[in-house]
Amino acid sequence: MSWEHVPGYVSEKEAHGEQTVVVEPDQLVEAALHLRDEEGFTFLSDISPTDYLGWGQKGVAGYIGTTTGRDLNRPASQGFQVLPELKPKRFSMSYHLLALRPGAPRLRLQVWVDDGEPVPSVVEVWPTADWHEREAWDLMGIRIEGHPNLARIIMDDDWEGHPLRKDYPIGGEPVRFSGEE
Amino acid sequence: MAVNRPLREHGLKSERVLWRGKGPSSFENEVDQLEQALGLTTLEKAVAWAQTKSMWPDTFGLACCAIEMMAIVSSRYDIARFGMEAFRASPRQADLLIVSGRVAHKMAAPLRQIYDQMLEPKWVIAMGACASSGGMFNNYTTLQGVDKIVAVDVYVPGCPPRPEALMEGIIRLHERVLAGIPPAYEVRGVAS
Amino acid sequence: MAVAQRPRAGIYEGTRIPSPIPTVLQVTDELRESGDILQVNFGPNHPSTHGVLRLIVDLNGEEVVGLEAVIGYLHTGFEKNMEQKTWWKAITYPERIDYVAFQNNEYVFVAAIEQLLGLEIPPKAVWMRTLLCELNRLHSHLVWLGTSGLELGAISMFWYCFRERDQILDLFELVTGYRMHTRYFQAGGLAEDIPRGFYPECRKFVEWMPKAIDDYDNLLRRNEIWLERTKGVGLLSAADAIALGQSGPVLRASGVNWDLRKAQPYLAYAEVDFDVPVYPHGDVYDRYRVHIDEMRQSVRIVEQCLDVLEGMEGEPWIVDDRKIVLPPREELHTSMESLIHHFKIVTEGYRVPEGEVYVAIEAPRGEMGCYVVSDGGPRPWRVKFRGTSFVALEATATCMSNALVADLIAIVGSLDTVMGEVDR
Repeated sequence: MSWEHVPGYVSEKEAHGEQTVVVEPDQLVEAALHLRDEEGFTFLSDISPTDYLGWGQKGVAGYIGTTTGRDLNRPASQGFQVLPELKPKRFSMSYHLLALRPGAPRLRLQVWVDDGEPVPSVVEVWPTADWHEREAWDLMGIRIEGHPNLARIIMDDDWEGHPLRKDYPIGGEPVRFSGEE
Repeated sequence: MAVNRPLREHGLKSERVLWRGKGPSSFENEVDQLEQALGLTTLEKAVAWAQTKSMWPDTFGLACCAIEMMAIVSSRYDIARFGMEAFRASPRQADLLIVSGRVAHKMAAPLRQIYDQMLEPKWVIAMGACASSGGMFNNYTTLQGVDKIVAVDVYVPGCPPRPEALMEGIIRLHERVLAGIPPAYEVRGVAS
Repeated sequence: MAVAQRPRAGIYEGTRIPSPIPTVLQVTDELRESGDILQVNFGPNHPSTHGVLRLIVDLNGEEVVGLEAVIGYLHTGFEKNMEQKTWWKAITYPERIDYVAFQNNEYVFVAAIEQLLGLEIPPKAVWMRTLLCELNRLHSHLVWLGTSGLELGAISMFWYCFRERDQILDLFELVTGYRMHTRYFQAGGLAEDIPRGFYPECRKFVEWMPKAIDDYDNLLRRNEIWLERTKGVGLLSAADAIALGQSGPVLRASGVNWDLRKAQPYLAYAEVDFDVPVYPHGDVYDRYRVHIDEMRQSVRIVEQCLDVLEGMEGEPWIVDDRKIVLPPREELHTSMESLIHHFKIVTEGYRVPEGEVYVAIEAPRGEMGCYVVSDGGPRPWRVKFRGTSFVALEATATCMSNALVADLIAIVGSLDTVMGEVDR
């Protein structure tokens, strides 16, 4: 079925057995209310922020393993990898929704934002979003507008930076081996 | 009484059950030399013996290693035979801090606070790879080894170490104490 | 048009979810003025908080009038670490997230990889994974029951439950070589074939376990002290549970008949026969009943899996695709292609096609999910785990109405949280 009637609809995609609907960030709350009340997606499983900085910039050479093997008639199954298609903006926030009916229909509601652009909060639609959105702010730096308590949740309160961003280093220590100078 | 036997005879008996001709291991030899060098008096040996036989751990289970630490209290591995099943929640009443699990930087401050609240003499066992060195998590948030903030006596490797491995670590700690080796903070000369 | 208004107090009308922040129970102003409030820290190091959870509790005498949970004391950076490793090496990480139900975590990540690859797993691997996941469910519920009993005063429960837990870990050690964090699942099946001595040992366990579960139940189910401490405590209604994203035993104890093994069958759950316990009241006692009944059902499932697996001697345990799976070692001496594939898989790692998936399973605590984004390369681009306990802790404030300090321990224990999942 098509999801075009969702408020703020931008595009939709079906891949690997899952459906994704992309909406405009400023219409997110209306889309959420529509999906919860009209379509029955009362259960918010997860909110996943993703950082696409550097996506597709490293072309990798080499064989791509497909389950059916090489196809000489299909480009990029025999030599260089096709660079993955570019994403519209730097960050995506994916809301994984579930309807509690047999068959467990799932839907991924996605919005795309740039660095500094806020995303409205869906806490009033699904109260469970409270901590997920705080985590998105803490670890990824996506500011949530309208959140009642937007504070760091996982890192220390005075931590600087947002660790899960791609420009944040992995940190840690170099490992020394015995016998090394 | 037990205090009059040299430490070598207290040692790791399980090895001798399986390997009859085995002599003392290098650890036992070192401990033996230290014991003779330090030359404890009978009173000090008695005190060390008492400290060893009821060294109460503090409940500092953080992550997966905590589950295996709970397993040593269970009936199969039974740490009560060493007098240690009384895991005290209050650090004021505990002698031994078994740091079991990965220590995040956020948790490092409470860990040091708990360690400071323990009364001397106190010992620390770093249980597992994460407490010994950061384990497989070499990143921005995991303390790369708990010996950066507390003085550790025994490191027990494993991910998680078997309960028997942890018990061997505890028994080796007991042997160090019986030999008269002071706790790690005195050995390393750091604040306790 | 931007929807950026301040949320009003009382937005969750008709529910018992506190407003305006659903996860924080706030002291009313009159109580604060009266000066009778004592703020206590149930610090990260506490014997009864199931790990490093910090609760800042406001007490009016014995009654809990304010509650806030502070987490992050076990943040290990799993997700960022996994982005640095190849797909194969990254499978080692998820096990340590929920360190009590480790193979379920491993399975959810491996299932995400397999969904992106589009693999079809051989039946032997499917049934064995089902068996191991159910043994893990038993393990998790035993640890929960042992520690919950310990906290509420039924101290012997700890030793009884851990006795059976050691038997389960013996089975894991027999199959995989390790007690916990077994790393037995690979993308495509199992790492190795099932050793021959496993089936008789598992049969012995399956015969013994129902008697042990009956023992636990007889100790607690009609025990007056247990009933006093758990009945009517920590009430969570069905609507609140769904709004707060609860799943697993907490949701089923609130009267919602929802189990992902029945609603969205994965592995071999569509072909085994088991019941899903649902209880109506939503208190701690019902959660205990759900856990005990689930243990019985798990033993049934393990028995059925054994019946099927015993007839599958000699079948392949991993997919035959050499682009993803290492070739058998004997072939490396004779086949050049096998050698090259072995080399490429071990050094560079296999490639997973581009895409994003969200896989959810019914872990012992509830819905455990894994969101994986791949860019077609040998390393994951983004991995996010939906930790069940992270969401379960959001419900503490709602369950805590009219609770005393003693009830606080019972409620936090009944939500069955594991801090590794919360902080990741």
